[in-house]
Amino acid sequence: MKKLLEISLGVVTSVGGFLEVGSMATAAQAGALFGFQLIWAVVLGTICIIFLVEMAGRFAAVSHHTIADGIRERFGFNAFIWPLIATLLVNFLVLSAEIGGVAIAAELATGIGFQWWALPAAFLAWLLLWKGTFGLIEKGVSMLGLVTLSFVVAAVMLRPEWKEVAVGAVPSLPRHDTAKYWFMAVSILGASISPYLFMFYSSGAIEDQWDKSYLGTNRAIAGLGMSFGGTISVGVLIVAALVLGAHGVTEVDDYNQLPLMLIPIFGFWGFVLFVASLAIACFGAALEVALQQAYLVAQGFGWNWGEDLKPRDDPGFSLVYTLTLFLAAVPITLGLDPLKLTIFSMALTAASLPLTVVPFLFLLNDDRYVGEHRNGVVSNAAVIFVIALGFVLAVVSIPLQIFGGT
Amino acid sequence: MQLLRDILDKQVVDREQVKIGKVDSIVAELKPGKPPRVSAVELGSIALARRLGSTPARWTAKLAAGLSGKQQARPHRITWNKVRDIGVDIEFDIDVRRTRIFAWQDWLRDHVVGRIPGA
Repeated sequence: MKKLLEISLGVVTSVGGFLEVGSMATAAQAGALFGFQLIWAVVLGTICIIFLVEMAGRFAAVSHHTIADGIRERFGFNAFIWPLIATLLVNFLVLSAEIGGVAIAAELATGIGFQWWALPAAFLAWLLLWKGTFGLIEKGVSMLGLVTLSFVVAAVMLRPEWKEVAVGAVPSLPRHDTAKYWFMAVSILGASISPYLFMFYSSGAIEDQWDKSYLGTNRAIAGLGMSFGGTISVGVLIVAALVLGAHGVTEVDDYNQLPLMLIPIFGFWGFVLFVASLAIACFGAALEVALQQAYLVAQGFGWNWGEDLKPRDDPGFSLVYTLTLFLAAVPITLGLDPLKLTIFSMALTAASLPLTVVPFLFLLNDDRYVGEHRNGVVSNAAVIFVIALGFVLAVVSIPLQIFGGT
Repeated sequence: MQLLRDILDKQVVDREQVKIGKVDSIVAELKPGKPPRVSAVELGSIALARRLGSTPARWTAKLAAGLSGKQQARPHRITWNKVRDIGVDIEFDIDVRRTRIFAWQDWLRDHVVGRIPGA
């Protein structure tokens, strides 16, 4: 019973991590322009992240090390510095985009321009990290995240042709806007396979003091939680295809178009639900990304870390998330378009994947860390596939950004 | 045991399991007619910067000396005979509060973090 409760909590938590401004924006754009055709990218991204998250959790539970610890110790500092810099940079952009998402939700709700909301949003997030515990952040915020299920409800209520949805789950070649199609596929993959997600997950496993008895729980949470998150993304895509596409909005380049999505189904409440979903999903993700920045730096340099400690007991750690949060609010305060930033940072995330995923192949096959719980053939095949995919994404994302970006 | 594989870059904890840093370099002693002996490990940004090259090392040492005085221009050393346990982490029989390793974190606590309400 206790395990069951833990699993359901974990599933809810991973939804909080999975669904953020990136997956919502990319799914909405893809649905509006290409109908159901890009569902396969969400499905593929979800399968990849299930494997990576399961491995990150298993690694932490068995070795009591986070993935960042493992990379530093196994490959040495001179190698670790590359994923460190790349991840810090990408996370910073993603954090900025999440703060932008919260700010847009606040603008939609109040009519006051989004620039004014970035710093208050960052402050609120900082306050929660400063005073709160890991459990509060993990469970409290993600419980609220269940409001995003309204996209799944809406998708079902719109009665899509399920046969067409299934066809969309199989990759196919674009019939128009070829460069844009592939750019969106890359952005969706980047939004689903985020390094911050699996790195945060491994830090969380240490914070929650997982050991080998959690391996089953870990597998269930990774599989169910990420599929649940992926389902909501597909929900967003279906709603965007049926509502935005049908109203002739094919080009989602202005965030003011987004709240239209839920209005045909829920009326005025659709607007409220959309704003709440956007605000909560982005706020939850902002908390996680800011924490992940601090985890990454503290673990990389071996400092004391832990969200349950008081800031005065880990001053270095708490200063990192404080600085990151406020610096990340600056671009939005200066008026940078959050939607553009989101799409850009998702493509960049995809490009940075090889740096963080290649180490999985070594760490999860190293007896000294994982012993008998090392990767089997299936997991190794999955890592090799993600690495190959990562390299392709890294090579194509920049040119596609130029030719297919909005 | 292999030094580079099992010691370098490992997490260092003190006798109270406080995480104090990573093994950023290993100091070995050479005496004529004897095999080299590990005498200490070094921690901190200067030791780390040395591994990236001589230019980063010089700059970091200058920065550290400028920020916190001449005595901080060299990396922190823990002598090898203090080692207690080599496992997932490497435990040394020291008390971090009696070293200068956390001087910058203490400074942060006293001057920045501690002044923010709720810390």
